[in-house]
Amino acid sequence: MSFFLSYLILSAIFAILALSTNLLVGLVGIFSVSQAAIFGVGAYIVAGLTMHSVMPFLPALVVAMAVCAVLNVLLALPSLRVAGDYFVVTSFGSQLVATALFINLVFLTGGASGLSGIPAPEILCWKAVLPWQIAILSIAALAFVSLMFWLMMRSPFGKLINAVRLDENAVRAAGKGVRSTKLVVAAISGTFAAIAGGLYGVHLSYIDPVSFDIHVSILILAMMVFGGARTLAGSILGPLVLLALPQLLNLIQLPSTSIGPVRQLIYGLLLVLFMLFRPQGLLGKKI
Amino acid sequence: MAGFLLQLLADGLVTGIGIGLVAISFTLYYATTGTFHVAHAGLYTLGAYMAWWLTTMSVPFALACIAAAAICLLAGLLVQVLVYDRLDRTDASPLAKLIASLGVLYVLQNLVAILFSPDLLQFPTAWRGGVIQLGEVYLSYAQLVVAGSGLVIFAALMAFTRLTMAGTRIRAVASNPFLAEITQLRPHRVYLMVMAIASAIVAVAGAAIGFDQAIQPYTGILVLLVATIAVIAGGIGSITGAFVISIFLSVLQNATLVVLPGRWSIALTFALFIAFIVIRPRGLFAHR
Amino acid sequence: MNRFHAAATAALAIFSIAVMPAHADEKLVFGALLPLTGPAAPIGAEQQRGVDYAVRKINESGGIDGRKVEFRYEDSQGKPDTGVLSFNKLIDYDHVPAVISAFSSVGIAIGPIATRRETLVLNPGAQSDQLGDISPFLLNTIPLVHDETKVLARYIYDKVGARNVAVIYENAAAGTDGRNDFVEAFKKLGGTIVADEAIEFGQTNYRPTLLKVRAAKPDLVYLVVLQGYEPLIEQIGQIPGFPVCAGTTFLRLAWGHLEAVGWYQSAVHSEIDPKIEEEFKTIYKQPDMSFFGREYYTAANIIFEATAHVLKDGKDLTGRNLLDKINEIQDFENSVAKLHFDKSTNTAKRGIEVLKYTKTEREVVAVESAK
Repeated sequence: MSFFLSYLILSAIFAILALSTNLLVGLVGIFSVSQAAIFGVGAYIVAGLTMHSVMPFLPALVVAMAVCAVLNVLLALPSLRVAGDYFVVTSFGSQLVATALFINLVFLTGGASGLSGIPAPEILCWKAVLPWQIAILSIAALAFVSLMFWLMMRSPFGKLINAVRLDENAVRAAGKGVRSTKLVVAAISGTFAAIAGGLYGVHLSYIDPVSFDIHVSILILAMMVFGGARTLAGSILGPLVLLALPQLLNLIQLPSTSIGPVRQLIYGLLLVLFMLFRPQGLLGKKI
Repeated sequence: MAGFLLQLLADGLVTGIGIGLVAISFTLYYATTGTFHVAHAGLYTLGAYMAWWLTTMSVPFALACIAAAAICLLAGLLVQVLVYDRLDRTDASPLAKLIASLGVLYVLQNLVAILFSPDLLQFPTAWRGGVIQLGEVYLSYAQLVVAGSGLVIFAALMAFTRLTMAGTRIRAVASNPFLAEITQLRPHRVYLMVMAIASAIVAVAGAAIGFDQAIQPYTGILVLLVATIAVIAGGIGSITGAFVISIFLSVLQNATLVVLPGRWSIALTFALFIAFIVIRPRGLFAHR
Repeated sequence: MNRFHAAATAALAIFSIAVMPAHADEKLVFGALLPLTGPAAPIGAEQQRGVDYAVRKINESGGIDGRKVEFRYEDSQGKPDTGVLSFNKLIDYDHVPAVISAFSSVGIAIGPIATRRETLVLNPGAQSDQLGDISPFLLNTIPLVHDETKVLARYIYDKVGARNVAVIYENAAAGTDGRNDFVEAFKKLGGTIVADEAIEFGQTNYRPTLLKVRAAKPDLVYLVVLQGYEPLIEQIGQIPGFPVCAGTTFLRLAWGHLEAVGWYQSAVHSEIDPKIEEEFKTIYKQPDMSFFGREYYTAANIIFEATAHVLKDGKDLTGRNLLDKINEIQDFENSVAKLHFDKSTNTAKRGIEVLKYTKTEREVVAVESAK
């Protein structure tokens, strides 16, 4: 049962991350390979605050959400100032610098050895210690994030975001703020990633920099592309299937040193083939 | 102390020339086509592994390099035709092309990891580790290969783009693709040409640098990142700019090592990049 | 694709996770959680061979109590989240009472689960100090980093006479632990650290770091590098006048290179009966049994011995009973090593020795026996 529950919990966490990426990459069209960095910041903040008993889980999560929102806005700023492609370098660079910071700011992050002993989340009087309790918490969080996403898409703001992606100049001509729209989306995207980070930490009660590096960013991107951009269902299906991939691969007899590269090869193929033949993913809309 | 600094300088120069090859090939392609071809790092890796594989079959290094360049030239053309051209025809957004390029990079990296294992590998050539002394500076023969081939290829590329008809055509397409389209310069032919040249050059870079150090499937993206910083800081489209800034960045990284611990060098390079795009976003050697 | 297809895909994915493989009741099944892919994959392969060899040997001699033994291997990828997922799978689906683990961050992550599910975990591979007390159910069969570095630091200070030492370490969990413990131990003895440089995993150009270290004029350089020795050693050789180096068990990959003659290495005392090694070499087509091969072979045998006793006592084969039995037996000896467990610590007491590299062999120059 624990295994199935851990699969569900991880799927929920990565679905939240996929939704976060969906906002930035799918809805607004800003290329990003630094989602894992924000995910990591959220995880480290919640872990740090709860481990040193500064505040309980929910307030710590709120702090993380605020910080990650600001951070994501800062990371999105270069995409506004300079031509789109400079932003690619910024995004890669930010992710790599974040990993370097996670490894080297030992007093904050525990360095390469990570932070262990992250306490179980306590919400009001309820303590989520057992796997099924964490599963409930994660699914509740996913439900919350999904609702936010869905409401946003249906709202006038959602229509504005769509318009920005399709024709920035028209929106500007109509007198609406293109820049502020993008930044608001970046902020909300950051809060989602922070929620995922907090959950991740309490699920494993241990985090280390490896869990937040560029390969994870690519994985999240692959999940979003596979599931499909700009829809809720897509960002839930993507993680469910791609997290099951290692188990599915187990059924084929592969030499053990090749399983990892094969897995990553599949992520790469998914990205290329979907962009070529099905840019809307399985359930989404065209990127 | 002077010997120490001179040695750091020499080492930085060699590393910078190696990165410079990646930078000039990238800027050639990017300035001409407008596609941010991150899969370039995958061709860098493929070139290194092809050259390595051939030397393990007793092919002399120089020949292995040329063969690797040829293989990557073809691989690059495949990517251009099967991926980028197709995406252009379906009017794909730049974001879609970027994601596809990222996918190609991942495919190439992991292909070599599957075929040759993910371990660190070294070229079996016996003479490559030997050291020669130039005054107070020691350089390995492999480092000389990197520097030598880098300078020669840089000069050749400059001559090609300045002095030949094909080079002129490339520069015309780069400066105005729309005009090129309607004046029959056939930009898509030119795209194939620059992809071929860029892929061949980056293959040699991968082989030479790997020859000096070691090869590994996943570090190409880091090299490309530094190279693209040099490309942007030098002014997109400026081959000289890309080459010079690559050397400048490498030497600077080494120089700061004296005062900063090595683990901050990526953060430093990136901070420099941010400084560049804030102060002079069009680059130091920008054309127009 | 419509909603129906999507639901079907999701159901297929969930189904593949939920399917329960059955296993024959007569077999004794244990688990092994190894980094079969990822940066530590070559080590994972060595470890797997060690366990597999132990399984082969015990089944050849009739199994335990007449029952055959089987190990289920799971890939942790060297990542804590995958490790936790796979560990849970071993417990939930394969119902294993014991798991052999590897990789520090994975061990740290599964520790709390081992406590909660009362599953025995043996760690013969990772040395992070945090593993010392991560769970009462996690036992380490090799000394942790601080044990080895203490011995090495003392030897370097007393016997080699080094007073100024430079440190080059890999910026990963085992690397930083190795650096921290050595620096602490060496300074406590009265020595000075004159340079302290980190290198990144996957780095291949070490020259600037090596030059900086040499410029600090150390008597000796302490290396904590886990992989990628080939270019490092080659570049050390290209720099004239580079000082002699020393390291812990990780350094063993440097042995055999001309540049490494005169270097020192601390090691966990671990031998092997030549007959056993010969058979191993033949079956797996490897040049030797290697450190991890031997240690994992030993760990599997410890589990087998404890299992035999538990079954003889007529008790259930559970993690708790195995743990209690190990603490009861305390001393384990096989053709590889002598280990002593006692309830005061989760780490077995083993001999630690210091080796010096000559052109032809690794000479034992000091031994500190298990206390």
